[in-house]
Amino acid sequence: MVKSRGHGSRWIWITGLVGLLAIGMAACGDDDSGGGTGGFTDAGYKTAGFKSVTVDKDQPIKIGISSALTGDVKGLGIPIADSAETAAADVTIKGHKVQVVREDDLCSAEGGPAAADRLIKANVVAAVGPICSGGTRASLAAYDKAGITHISPSATAGDLSSPVRPEGPYVTFFRVPVLNADEAEAQAKYAKDTLKAKKAFVVFDTDDYGKDLGEQFQKFFKAGGGTIVGSPAGYEKKTTDFKSIVSNIKAAKPDVVYLAGFYAEATPFIQQLRAEADLKSVPFISGDGVKNDEFLKAGAAAEGAILALPGAHGTEFANYTKKYADKFKGDSEAATFGPEAYDAMTIILKAIEKVGTDSGGVLTIDLKKLNDAIKTATLSGATGEIKFGNNGNRAGATTRIFKITNGKYEEVKK
Amino acid sequence: MAPLFLTSAEFWADQLVNGLTTGSIYALIALGYTMVYGVLQLINFAHGEVFMVGAFAGFGVLTAFGGEDISGVMITVSILVALIAAGAASAATAVTIERVAYRPLRNAPRLAPLISAIGVSVFLSHLVDDFFLNGESQFYPQIFPTGNVSAGPLSISYLQLFLIGASLAMMAVLYWVIQRTRTGRAIRAVSESRDNSALMGIDVNRAIVITFALGAVMAGFAGVLYGLFLSSIRGSMGFIPGVKAFTAAVLGGIGSIPGAVLGGYILGFAETIGRELLNEIPGVNLPNQWKDVIAFALLVTILILRPSGIFGRKETKRA
Repeated sequence: MVKSRGHGSRWIWITGLVGLLAIGMAACGDDDSGGGTGGFTDAGYKTAGFKSVTVDKDQPIKIGISSALTGDVKGLGIPIADSAETAAADVTIKGHKVQVVREDDLCSAEGGPAAADRLIKANVVAAVGPICSGGTRASLAAYDKAGITHISPSATAGDLSSPVRPEGPYVTFFRVPVLNADEAEAQAKYAKDTLKAKKAFVVFDTDDYGKDLGEQFQKFFKAGGGTIVGSPAGYEKKTTDFKSIVSNIKAAKPDVVYLAGFYAEATPFIQQLRAEADLKSVPFISGDGVKNDEFLKAGAAAEGAILALPGAHGTEFANYTKKYADKFKGDSEAATFGPEAYDAMTIILKAIEKVGTDSGGVLTIDLKKLNDAIKTATLSGATGEIKFGNNGNRAGATTRIFKITNGKYEEVKK
Repeated sequence: MAPLFLTSAEFWADQLVNGLTTGSIYALIALGYTMVYGVLQLINFAHGEVFMVGAFAGFGVLTAFGGEDISGVMITVSILVALIAAGAASAATAVTIERVAYRPLRNAPRLAPLISAIGVSVFLSHLVDDFFLNGESQFYPQIFPTGNVSAGPLSISYLQLFLIGASLAMMAVLYWVIQRTRTGRAIRAVSESRDNSALMGIDVNRAIVITFALGAVMAGFAGVLYGLFLSSIRGSMGFIPGVKAFTAAVLGGIGSIPGAVLGGYILGFAETIGRELLNEIPGVNLPNQWKDVIAFALLVTILILRPSGIFGRKETKRA
């Protein structure tokens, strides 16, 4: 037996723990703490800090994109950024080219404000993003203070836009996607009507998006006469061990397993769920954070999974598909929230075109007028007809349902 | 409200098996911490990354064998090759770390190799995450046959049975090497007294290198088992299991091999069962991450009540 030589003392454990903490901070620096840095309590800005921006002759107009460019959500984030940039490609507004500035928001509550800060310092006139609800919540105040209007293509937590609107600390925030509540309603309806499920087990990412979507699903599923069995099981990002959750599911014997979260965790989850003989064929429903080509890497375990994707194809979708394929070799059907990002950028470009005033090659953009133009914009875009409600949310929207069949997403008719 | 049906015998049997599987992985990794501490009084913080390298080596082998398409007898072959490759890759990594980051500091103040270990740990996890993978997770192919062996309320999947059995077998082999071979005797001698061992003609550097390699082989095996079991791997995956295994080693009494194994199992059980027990309290519904809270609360308690751990020798101060 190996024995300690015994000339250390208790301090070594303390040093050890300090050391571990140091590694922890370095290794987990990109963790998503799941929100909490609420912007709404900080209602110090009754009017956004709108300024006027001038773009010198032959200089480009800068528009920001805040998206997850690295990390576990980049599978969603890069197609979103690429799609937004597609809309701005080769666009010239009153003699000025458009320059897209990308910043990485890591889909996190820490990354959102950091990306906002870098974009504001880069003098963008407007931005697409941030892409996740946690990051959006944390950066609302920063954009507002700078008077930069931003349109999120994908932040879907319900409470991001209420209750402060319409009196408006955050008049600078708009979003294109269908909200969690609408998505959850469609999922609950599918579970009840198509799957005939009466008992659901809910698993959720404890961040803003997962918590909100999970609660919305429970609300709609119960309202439709269903029961939630077991206790809803929370997990944090980067969780890999879902075994004890799977044991809880096994004991609860649900008719359907519902997950509100992202594909990076949904992939090991579905694999561990399917490895359990009793749960090999229980229907699995999830949403837009999971509906992604990366999730197909789960292989046979993902077969039969039901994924809801908010939004529909609009008149501009074919155009977007072609341009996105030409510029980035992208597949529009695989780019979840890509069409939303394309539309968000298009709305910004049209608004700049509308309010920018040219004088001898120098373009002046009043950011207040730009904000007004976006607020009243109507667009027949890649995701259908878009206009914004008083609170910055999109008015009216639909959700599509997909099933993984032979390793591919196939849309199912409801 | 925690519903009553959760208290069924099957449920708790399931959770016991989960605890045992998690504990097996912790035990395998903890061995490396405890052995290195035995010979060098060094906490090798980079050990979690040695485990990570093993997981990726195994992943590379399984991918080369065809990933999801592996079937039939090739499942056994590919997993065996993956285990061997992982053991080799981890051992090579650990030996390199020892040579580059620890040996030059052998006679430096004890804090120096500790900081060096932290540096190596951060370097390796970020090298894989940021340089090779751009922060994305990889997923082990799910090739292990599914199915359960049942006895009464107890039901163990083939994979869990394999994982528990394989780790026990590996630990038995390690114990045999340490107790019954000349090399093992040399390692034990060095852990008693490095200077006296050198005087008796033992090649101390060789014994230390072998200690690192043996611990790393166990960690490499653990990496493959982890990948097969939980599927998702990434550059920073070694951190939490590394800390847990370190906790297990301290729990068992660092420097003690049976202590590390026992500590691993205790920790695996405690964090799995602990959270479920708390969730039985009406109105309590703790998310999965509470496992970590329970594990570290256990560590702190042990450090307060019995700083030398379960099997640890009471430490005597020397001048």
